Amino acid sequence: MNATRAEIARPDRQAGRSRSGPTPPDGQDAQSRRKGPRRRRNEALPLLLPALLPVALFSMFPLVQGIYLGFTDSRAGLDQVTHFTGLENYRDLLDNGLFWESFRIGLVWAFSVTILQFVASLGLALLLNQDLRLRWLARTLALVPWAMPPVVIAIMWRMMFNPNSGPINSWVRGLGFSGDFNLLGDFNTALPAVIVVGVWVGMPQTTITLLAGLQSMDSSMHEAAEVDGAGALRRLVHVTLPSLRPIIAAITSLDFIWNFNQFALVYVLTRGGPGGETMLPMLFSYNEAFRYGHYGMAAAMGNVMVLIIVAMLFFYLRNRLRENA
Amino acid sequence: MSVRAHPTRTRSLQYVALAGYLIFLGFPLLWMLSTAFKSSQELADITPRLIPSDPILDNFGDAIDRADLVHAGANSLQVALATTVLVIAMTLPAAYGLVRYKTWLRPVTLSWILIGQVFPVILVAIPLFLILDQFSLTDSLVGLTIVHAVYALPFGLWMLQGYITAIPRDVEEAGAVDGAGRLRILVSIILPLLRPGVVATALFTFIASWNEFFFALVLIQDPDKYTLPRTLVRFVGASDQVQLGPLAAGALLATLPSLVFFLLIQRRLTAGLLSGAVKG
Amino acid sequence: MNVKHLAGVALFACLVASCATSTNESDDTSDSGDSEGPVTLRFNSLAFQEPTIEASKAIVDAWNAEHPDIQVEYVQGSWDSVHDQLVTQLQTGKAPDIIHDESADISGFARQGYLADLSPYLSDEVKDAVPEGVWDAVTVDDKVIAAPTLLQSYMVFANTDLLQQAGVDIPAGETWAWDDFQAAAAKATTDDTYGVAWGLAEPTATVTSLGMNFGATFFDGEGDDADITVGDPELALPARIHEMTYDDQSIDPTSLTLSGSDALPGFLHGKYAMTVQGSYVAQQLVQDAPEDFHWAVLPPLSAESAAQAANPQTLSVPAESPHVEEAAEFIDYFMAAQNLAKVAEGDWLIPASSEASDAVAADTGGDNGWNEILNSGEYLTKAPFQSVTNYPQWDDQIATPALQKYFADEISLDELQAELTDGWADVSGG
Repeated sequence: MNATRAEIARPDRQAGRSRSGPTPPDGQDAQSRRKGPRRRRNEALPLLLPALLPVALFSMFPLVQGIYLGFTDSRAGLDQVTHFTGLENYRDLLDNGLFWESFRIGLVWAFSVTILQFVASLGLALLLNQDLRLRWLARTLALVPWAMPPVVIAIMWRMMFNPNSGPINSWVRGLGFSGDFNLLGDFNTALPAVIVVGVWVGMPQTTITLLAGLQSMDSSMHEAAEVDGAGALRRLVHVTLPSLRPIIAAITSLDFIWNFNQFALVYVLTRGGPGGETMLPMLFSYNEAFRYGHYGMAAAMGNVMVLIIVAMLFFYLRNRLRENA
Repeated sequence: MSVRAHPTRTRSLQYVALAGYLIFLGFPLLWMLSTAFKSSQELADITPRLIPSDPILDNFGDAIDRADLVHAGANSLQVALATTVLVIAMTLPAAYGLVRYKTWLRPVTLSWILIGQVFPVILVAIPLFLILDQFSLTDSLVGLTIVHAVYALPFGLWMLQGYITAIPRDVEEAGAVDGAGRLRILVSIILPLLRPGVVATALFTFIASWNEFFFALVLIQDPDKYTLPRTLVRFVGASDQVQLGPLAAGALLATLPSLVFFLLIQRRLTAGLLSGAVKG
Repeated sequence: MNVKHLAGVALFACLVASCATSTNESDDTSDSGDSEGPVTLRFNSLAFQEPTIEASKAIVDAWNAEHPDIQVEYVQGSWDSVHDQLVTQLQTGKAPDIIHDESADISGFARQGYLADLSPYLSDEVKDAVPEGVWDAVTVDDKVIAAPTLLQSYMVFANTDLLQQAGVDIPAGETWAWDDFQAAAAKATTDDTYGVAWGLAEPTATVTSLGMNFGATFFDGEGDDADITVGDPELALPARIHEMTYDDQSIDPTSLTLSGSDALPGFLHGKYAMTVQGSYVAQQLVQDAPEDFHWAVLPPLSAESAAQAANPQTLSVPAESPHVEEAAEFIDYFMAAQNLAKVAEGDWLIPASSEASDAVAADTGGDNGWNEILNSGEYLTKAPFQSVTNYPQWDDQIATPALQKYFADEISLDELQAELTDGWADVSGG
């Protein structure tokens, strides 16, 4: 289900825009005021309308309705009457231990996947940035997880994890462990195993974004550092990473949102098991809406998640902006 | 230090690391490729083999016939292409407007992109369905295209506006001095400079639409209008029963066009990303 | 400026208008009035194996030939996504006219008021051909909300070579006692093979259904008003599985974390002497077993009784369909014995009607386990949990995690009992 979100959302992996992008409205405003005369302002409308009208109708309107549902007792059913209930859903939610437990799992999942995805993608981007042979092939292969239809991705991974017939188990045995392992079904390994798949799925977009950033860097800074005798690692930490910082901030925060919203993948792999170890909050609210028909409560969960995630991002991005100022 | 001391050793380490990455990223595709050529007996074997011991082609025939892959592929192509054209046509002027004019729409658009990202799509599915029904757009590929376009649009907007920001204003003002109109500036000056960025945005939009499943599931009922992901799930049954061979074969056939496309344009794509992401 | 502004609006209006007109024509066919022209009904079928799909299409074709005024369009759906599809389409009044699903899933929609009562439209032959206990499984608030078509039961599949090597006699009675099954499993367990593989990744369905062998009821009451009991009968099956896994060590603990299908390759290649599976797995065995593999379906397990929950596949009609009567007429036609027999054979399921069951027995000669599978059909009956509104939530949030923990030996039987009981209080209160 949420695959929709993930798939459609992925393109934005590219959005690693930098300071001069739209992010901080203030600085940009001053600039445009100087350059673009005020009277031209309305000329923007006809340019924007063809894009914004359908969006307002087909995206914003349902979204607002969705948010409103969170303050009602809406349920699935023919001729159900919906009542406005104010904050009642939120009071109930405070007592819902299972929801908060899944929220905790969601945070562990989203942070681990985002961080690992970033580290792995940075490594790959650095390699692809080198003048290696067969680079064209490597770049294409790096996009594989993105090209495979999401419908089959989880099924292929579940096959590979199969303790009887999957290759992963025979590799584990090859490492000297004996017996059959169902990494997806074991209490200690289920979450790490789905995290690996999560990292795999999101790597192409993160890699390409970082690679673009790397290639756009001013090479003279690198050369200067090299002349100063800085080693590869020091150059990475002191030259490369600081200049990539705006892109890193943008891509990691978007990755975080998408990872937090992910669940179709995990649903096929583990259905939230074993023992609820991989019950991500989005899976939880999906069940609430689609399995039990409690639309109001599910929308309330959505609202709570939006609030918390937006607040976290605000602090994350605010600090970034301050550092860069 | 070490880099210059042992250039060849570093190089080989880099190749090893790169190979590691490619195995990690490419292996599931390889496994799918292998699965597509295995009989159901071999798939039920307990010795995992990457090279099928007795490769067969039946799965491909099965996938093409039973899932009506060619017809579904044509539908998918139609929807994905139309979505791409629609998104580019709508976002290009809008991105330009957002970047070059000061307007209150900018902060509104940006906040909407963020909140729209976080709020779960499943919760807006039903209101959206009702609106589409008002316009008789359910069970129609046009309706599906509009939904795909609307959901891909913010990201296209976000990306293109980044690429436009990177184009120096002087270039444009030179045109204005020559007396060229707005539209002509957009078409004859901005567009050529933007080409790589447009290619990248188009590619992202195309893939997003090509692979989209949920809306294709709930909006489309007429089997003549099924898209690829929608028709592939017919090989997935209850209780984790999966007809793996045909599923893998079908998925492979659905993946290859994107990969070949990547291969052909990867140079241009990277270049596009470069000029787009160049410091703004 | 205003002109440009208007142009933008007009452009968008055109876009919407052109879409609207282009789809109107095709949309009309399914809604066309009763008086003029033939009615077209959409049948969303979940037939899975190729022979069943062919059989279903053949039934539709035969119907269409006989009924020029009521044309049925066959649409292929999938089990994997049918629930999401129905949630959205029923809520928005766009569901297919004939809905294929299963009792466990469809009864939730029925309680939400989405489905038509079929009882006025079904013929007496159809009503008489299906046992009362199966009709109960599709009756919600005294309305027959679906016609039951095919059923599955949990069966023991055996690798007969391994059992004989271990000196276990292949049971041949009407049923097979649990104690004998447990003893046979222990006897068949060697250094290289486990006695049993049991795919219990989704344990709740098995425990609530097969638990009826031990007299488990779990729930008392219907709809929103139900109480839970987790006593000795309810705990008997989980305790037995746990004992076989950790005391006898005759069940492979890894298999407990798999789905049934994922446990099958090990069974086919001699790692397990027996496996407990849904009866439909016989199809996969016929298709995928190596040539020198000898297998049998053993008689249904039995303790106090051999009862299991009847969770039939179903055909329903949405209450909002403009053609309830016509759709019900088609369903009645579909339920004819020779039709049900044909769809049952391809997917290796038990037809709900006894006449169809006899037809399958005659057609297949009872080979490949068909005799045992068809016989098990008589023990299938409605279970109390099937009429409880909050059962799915208890299943997902409480029972499944608790049972998974118990089967992984993470919690004790007492803790399991407490989690199942206390969890119900949380779920049914909220």
